[in-house]
Amino acid sequence: MDVQKPGRMSAVETRESGAIVARARAGDAEAWGDLYREFAPAIFRFCRRALPTREDAEDATMEIFMKIRDKLDQYDATRPFSSWLYKVAANHCWDMLRRRKNRQDKETDDSEALPLEHPDPNQLDQLIEKRTSEEVRKALDKLGSRARMALVLRYYSDMSYDEIADSLGVRRAFVGVVLLRARHELRQALEGTGAMAAGGAR
Amino acid sequence: MSSMSSPPNYHEREAPEHLDEMTCMLYLERQLERTRALEVSAHAQDCATCRTLLRAMERESRLLTRAMLEEEEPLPARIAAFQQRVHRSMQWIWMVVFGLAATAVYAMYTGYIEPWEQRLEQAGFGGTSLLSLLIFQGSFWKGWQSMISLVEILALVTLGGFAVLAARRHFRRGSALALVLTGLCAAFVSAPPAAATEFKSGPSIQISKDETIKGDVYATGQEISVDGTIDGDLYVWAQEATVRGHITGDVFLFVQTGRIEGQVDGNVRGACNNVTISGTVGRNLMTWTQVINVDSRGSVGRSVTSFSQTLGIDGKVGGDLFVFNQSTRIAGKIGGNIDEKSETLTIEDTAEVTGSIKFEGSREPNVSKKAKLASQVQFTQHVRHRNEFGKTSAFWAVVLVVAFALYGMMLFLIVPSFAQEATAAAENVGASMGLGLLVFFGVLIGAMIAVVTLVGMFVGLSTFFLWAIAVYAAQPIVGALLGQWILGRTTHTWPLIGRMLVGVFLIRVCTLLPHGWILKVVVTLWGLGAISLALYRRFQPVAPVQAPYVPPSAPLTPLTPAV
Repeated sequence: MDVQKPGRMSAVETRESGAIVARARAGDAEAWGDLYREFAPAIFRFCRRALPTREDAEDATMEIFMKIRDKLDQYDATRPFSSWLYKVAANHCWDMLRRRKNRQDKETDDSEALPLEHPDPNQLDQLIEKRTSEEVRKALDKLGSRARMALVLRYYSDMSYDEIADSLGVRRAFVGVVLLRARHELRQALEGTGAMAAGGAR
Repeated sequence: MSSMSSPPNYHEREAPEHLDEMTCMLYLERQLERTRALEVSAHAQDCATCRTLLRAMERESRLLTRAMLEEEEPLPARIAAFQQRVHRSMQWIWMVVFGLAATAVYAMYTGYIEPWEQRLEQAGFGGTSLLSLLIFQGSFWKGWQSMISLVEILALVTLGGFAVLAARRHFRRGSALALVLTGLCAAFVSAPPAAATEFKSGPSIQISKDETIKGDVYATGQEISVDGTIDGDLYVWAQEATVRGHITGDVFLFVQTGRIEGQVDGNVRGACNNVTISGTVGRNLMTWTQVINVDSRGSVGRSVTSFSQTLGIDGKVGGDLFVFNQSTRIAGKIGGNIDEKSETLTIEDTAEVTGSIKFEGSREPNVSKKAKLASQVQFTQHVRHRNEFGKTSAFWAVVLVVAFALYGMMLFLIVPSFAQEATAAAENVGASMGLGLLVFFGVLIGAMIAVVTLVGMFVGLSTFFLWAIAVYAAQPIVGALLGQWILGRTTHTWPLIGRMLVGVFLIRVCTLLPHGWILKVVVTLWGLGAISLALYRRFQPVAPVQAPYVPPSAPLTPLTPAV
């Protein structure tokens, strides 16, 4: 069984959403309400994973939906609505993080400079087996904004590499590197010491 | 995409025959070309180490997805209710606002502008600007009675709008609301504007003694004299106007020299250079003139309100005298009180005043001992600050900044969460201002009506009190938002107060600039709207939290090669 991700909707859901979106675009307030009720929880969780605090996530969710409402005319109905929604959400959150980073200049992406070291498969396997979802969420909070955003876009929103490249403003070929670095950061955070990444005995 | 070429030099490979981590990840994510994917798959069949790595990474992917999708905390009530509270409510409010605005514009046009366009065209003033049309014949001059009724109607419609808003849950669809609004608009518009009017223009216009006109008369010209009877209102734009006949309604004068020698049953209102009343005015006299005289034969049945340079009263005034003049001379009879703010007041021998006399001026009043006064003149010396104006205004500006800052601090400390909600609501600028406009006038009018009607003094005054608190809280709220824009967001009380202080200071500084009052109005409406919006949200029931979107756990599947 495959885990169904918010970005990956069934054909039925897509058709239903399409109809609702069409009505919302025509100015039907009820349809807009349905759309909000259907997608707000997922978008809030997206923001919650991507942004540092709960308050940020709440604000961002509301701002994203305000944006969506204004931009609904720009949505290409031939594509899945959820993809477009996540794209808008990703751009909004990423802009927010970048603005904050520029302003506060607190965060330094040290991880960019670190060389990636080969993991020990058995150690990695053990580490993953021992960790719970909650521990992973806590570890995610410790990651740099780009690493976290990349993981969220890929493993929460189920975005393609092209979409991730577009959202993060990196080359398509670099997306794999960003994701792998993010995984390494995550493993370090899970380990607490970074011993996992330094294991590399093969 | 080829995995081997894409991540150059990304790690040191100790065993070249093993798959590197990037290849494993791209393979798992189905990013490898088919041939390369088959190679990887084949290699994994034979190599236990690589199989372990692939398996571990796949588990890592699943763990990540699961961790992210799990709903460990409920959807915040603020988010759950956001759409209901803001989107719908604002839609309704906007509909009400636009409905009212459209109705008012239509009523204004059909009631006032259209007839006057015709009138001006007849008089040869085609193409006059809308502004001058509004200034010269706007509803302001139509008479206070019609103003009152207009205010009442507006108040009713506004209150009706609020009632509809409050009851909106019962209307499931927008069409029902549209119907209600249409009904309101129709009722509002269907009240027909005053009918029968007669337009007269020319260098010299005369309504002769034996002539009687039924309905209102609008007259423009150089010299206008009315000797006959007008059974309605008279509006005059002229150099000179003389009324010797009988006007049953009101007289509106926009003239250089105006004389009322006959009888006016209603009110006389005017913006003139000089006006002389030698005849009878049945009701009130209100003028903006340089010189106004009620001569010894003249009488005004009720009050006289004067914004003039010089006022002289030799005749009779039945009611009160409200005067904002440079100099006033009273030699006639005043049936009511005198309330006067001017430079000088002279009360002559022949004067008789039945009520009290309050005078605020720069000099002591000159009161004749022979004058018959019911009570002594209560004089208040008017202190001039002109010489100290610079210092005084700077002083007051500082005092106001401190006052608003303290008021804001008090507000933010007493009701911190509400202050935060209001600040957040202020981010919705358009909606806040729209609502602010509605509340500013609607609540005030509602409170006034409550005071003077059956609803009662207590309710009205309480409402007014709350309204005033909200109006003064507007600046701190908007200040907090501006402060947040400058210094970044915060959810803690004291940092928010700090931002509020910065914002309030900025606002107060900006209001000192020329036309700063515009900013004051904008900020007041904005903040008031934000407060109203936050209040509105507070009193809304919270929507139920939605069930989790996706079940949290998913079992691992055996490793399968990508296709």
